[in-house]
Amino acid sequence: MAVTAWVDYVVARGPEIWLRTVEHLMLTGLSTVGAVLLGVPVGLLAFYRPRSRSVLLSLIGILQTIPSLAMLALLLVLFGRIGAVPALAALTLYALLPVVRNTVVGLEGVDPTLGEAARGLGMTIRQELTMVRLPLALPVLAAGIRTAAVIGVGIATLSAFIGAGGLGQFINRGLALSDTGLIVLGAVPAGILALVVDGSIAGLAWASDTRKHHGAGGPGYATLRSAAVAFPFLLLLVPAVDMLAFDRGRKAAIVRICTKNFTEQILLGEIMAQLIEARTDLAVDRRFGLGGTIICHNALIAGDVDLYPEYTGTALTAILGEDIESSADPEDVFRVVRDAYVQRFDAQWLTPFGFDNTYVLMAKRSVVDSLGWRVVSDVEDRAPGLSVGFTAEFAERSDGYQGFAEHYGFTFGETRDLDPSILYDAVADDQVDLAFGFATDGRIDSYGLEVLEDDQAFFPPYQAAPVVRIATLRAYPELRDALELLGNLLSDPTMRRLNRESEEGGRTVGDVAADFLASTSVLGTLPGPR
Amino acid sequence: MIELRRVTKRFDRVIVPAVEEVTLKVHTGETMVLLGSSGSGKTTVLKLVNRLIEPTSGAVHIDGRDVADADVHALRRSIGYVFQGIGLFPNMTVRQNVGVVPRLEGWSAERIRDRTEDLLGLVSLPGGEFGDRYPDQLSGGQAQRVGVARALAADPAYLLMDEPFGALDAVTRARLQSELLELNGRLGKTIVFVTHDLFEALKLGDRIAVLHEGRLQQVGTGQELHHTPRTPFVRGLFRQLEEQVDELGRRIDRWP
Repeated sequence: MAVTAWVDYVVARGPEIWLRTVEHLMLTGLSTVGAVLLGVPVGLLAFYRPRSRSVLLSLIGILQTIPSLAMLALLLVLFGRIGAVPALAALTLYALLPVVRNTVVGLEGVDPTLGEAARGLGMTIRQELTMVRLPLALPVLAAGIRTAAVIGVGIATLSAFIGAGGLGQFINRGLALSDTGLIVLGAVPAGILALVVDGSIAGLAWASDTRKHHGAGGPGYATLRSAAVAFPFLLLLVPAVDMLAFDRGRKAAIVRICTKNFTEQILLGEIMAQLIEARTDLAVDRRFGLGGTIICHNALIAGDVDLYPEYTGTALTAILGEDIESSADPEDVFRVVRDAYVQRFDAQWLTPFGFDNTYVLMAKRSVVDSLGWRVVSDVEDRAPGLSVGFTAEFAERSDGYQGFAEHYGFTFGETRDLDPSILYDAVADDQVDLAFGFATDGRIDSYGLEVLEDDQAFFPPYQAAPVVRIATLRAYPELRDALELLGNLLSDPTMRRLNRESEEGGRTVGDVAADFLASTSVLGTLPGPR
Repeated sequence: MIELRRVTKRFDRVIVPAVEEVTLKVHTGETMVLLGSSGSGKTTVLKLVNRLIEPTSGAVHIDGRDVADADVHALRRSIGYVFQGIGLFPNMTVRQNVGVVPRLEGWSAERIRDRTEDLLGLVSLPGGEFGDRYPDQLSGGQAQRVGVARALAADPAYLLMDEPFGALDAVTRARLQSELLELNGRLGKTIVFVTHDLFEALKLGDRIAVLHEGRLQQVGTGQELHHTPRTPFVRGLFRQLEEQVDELGRRIDRWP
C-alpha cells in the first residue's frame, strides 16, 4: 500500500482508533489500579505471615498460567455476561502476580538491621511498615506495577473476544478477515500505549523518590517532577473525560448486534446492520468478532446483545446439547431449534438467509474433472490411496469424520488434522487430495476447488438465520420486518462469493455488504440514508 | 536504676544459654560497659533491657518496675538506643532521622524542629548544613553522631549503646569517644555501653561488667578488675593487654 493510501486508511479510521485506544486505556488503567489495591494487601499478608506466603504466591502464580483466552471464557461464564466487567476481572487477576511478588520482595529486601532499628526506637509494626519498609520497598513495588501495566496492555488486546472493546477489536477483525492492515491498526497503537503506560509509571516512581532530587534544582525541574507525578493520573482520567465529552450514540434506540470471529459472521452482521439502519430509525451497535458460539449465545440470553447470526446445526449440538441426526431434514432441525429457543431462551429464530454452511468434501477442480467425480460416493474406490484433511473439531464431532465413515462405509488412506486457515491451501497445494471444509467458504472459489455432492445425505444442516431476543422484537416490531427481508436471499454460491470478496482485500466488509444490499430490492425505493 | 535479676536467655534450638543467671545493677548516672568477645552474651543483655529480647527466666527492672509490665513501644521510646550498624533510615533526611522518636511520641512539628536543631548542634552537625542530607551523604563518623542525636531526641534518662563506634577508623573512634564523655558530662544520662574493646571500656566506663560465654565474670571499676581479678578470664584479659603494651614498647624501641 502506498504511503498516501495508508494515511487515508488510518485517517478514515481515526475516530474508531481513538475510541478503541480510550477503551484500551480504561481496561489497562482500571485493572492496574485494581491489581495494586488488591495485590499490595495480599503482598503484606504474605510478608507478615510467612507460612501463608508460599500458598498465596503459588495460587497467584497458577492464575498467571491459565491461558488468557481460557481465563476470559471462564470469567465470562462466572459473570454470565460479556463486556468490560469480566475483562477487567481477568486483567486484574493477571496483573496481580507482579504486584504481589514485588511487594513481598521489596519488603524482604529492606536491610534487617533497619527493622531492628525501627523496633528498637519503639515503632509499632504498622509504623515500621509505613515509615520505613514501604518507602524503601517502593522502587521494587513500582517495577512490579510497571510489569503489571504492560502485561495489562498486552492481554487487554484479547478482551475484544468477549466484547470489551479495546484495540484488540482491530486485531480480532483483521485476523477474522485476513486483513493485515487492520491487525497493524490494532497492534501499533497497543505497542505505543504499552510504552507510554510503562514510561508514565517509571516517571511517577522517579518523581516520587525524594532521595534522587536532593540538591537538584531549578523551577523547570520542579515543573517536570510535578508533571511526571500527574501524568499517570491524567492517563487514568482520559477515558472518563472522553465518555463525558462524547456522549456516544445515546440519541436513538440502539440494536446491539454481535457476531463470532470469522468472515461470514462479520459479513452477515454487517448486512443486517446496514439493512436495519436503512429500513428503520434504529441505530446499530456493532460488536463483531466475539470469541465463539458460547460467548455470543451467553451475551444474547444475558441481554448484552439483541441479535446475532447462528447456524441451526450449531445451535442443536453446541447449545441444546443434542446429537444431530446425520440425515436430518433441514426443516425439522430448524423447527426443533426454533421452538427450543422460544421456550428456553426467550429468543426467536427468524427466517434463514437461505444458504446452508454445512461441511462439504472438496477437491481440486482439475482432479475432480479428470477422475469424473461428481458426488461423494464416487470417491470410494480410490479412497484407500488418498489423503484427506480436516479440522481438529471435525475429527471429534459426532457428525464428523467417524460418522462420515460409518455412513458412507469407507475411510481414506491417510488423514491429517489441519488448522481451518490452511485447510483450503493444503488442497490447492496438493498436500492433501481432499478436505472437509465449509460449504460457503470463499476460498473454495478462489482456489479453484470443487464441492462433491452429499449424495447419501450425511452432513447435517447448518442453515444460518438471525436469532433475536423476543424482548427486542416486542420493543421494535419494525426490526422483524426488516430482517425478514433477508429470508432466502443468500444462496450457497452467493454467500461464497461475498465471503471471497470480503477476504480478497481492497474492499471492506462494509463495502461488500452495501454493494450486495444495493443489488437486491430489500432497501426498497425509499431514499434511505445510503 | 536498671536491675537485672538472675536473667537467663535460651534461644530456640541452642543448648547453651546465651545469657545465664546474670544479676547486675546499673546505677543512675553511671556508664556501665558490658565487655566481652563475640558470643559472650553482651548484646543479648543489652537487648533484654528494652525487650528486643525477652528473658527465658529472671526479670529486668527499671526504676523498680518490671519492664515486662510496661507497654513495649512506650518502653523503647523512653530508652535511647544507638545501634551497632548505626541503623539510620536511608529514606529519611538527617533531620527526619533525629526527629523520628519525637514524631512517634506525637510532638508538634515546631517542637520537633527546635529539638532536632538543638541536638544537631550538640553533636556538632549544624542543621543548616547537614539537616537536609540523606544518610548516604554522610561520613561514618557523622552518621554515628546522627545516631547518637537520634537516641537522645526524646530526652531519655537511659541510653543503650551497642558497639556504636565499632565500624569507625581508630582516629574517628577516639574522637567520638571523647565527645561522648564530654557530652555525658553535661547530660548525665545513665548509659549501658557494649564493646569488645578493653581500651574503650577503660576509657568510657565508670564500671565494667565482663561477660564470657553467657556468664557474668566480674563487675567493677577498671582498677578493681586489674588488681583483683576474680576469674581466670578477667586475669587473662588484662595480662593480654599488658603483653600487647610491652610488645608495642619493644617494637617502638627497636626503631632507629
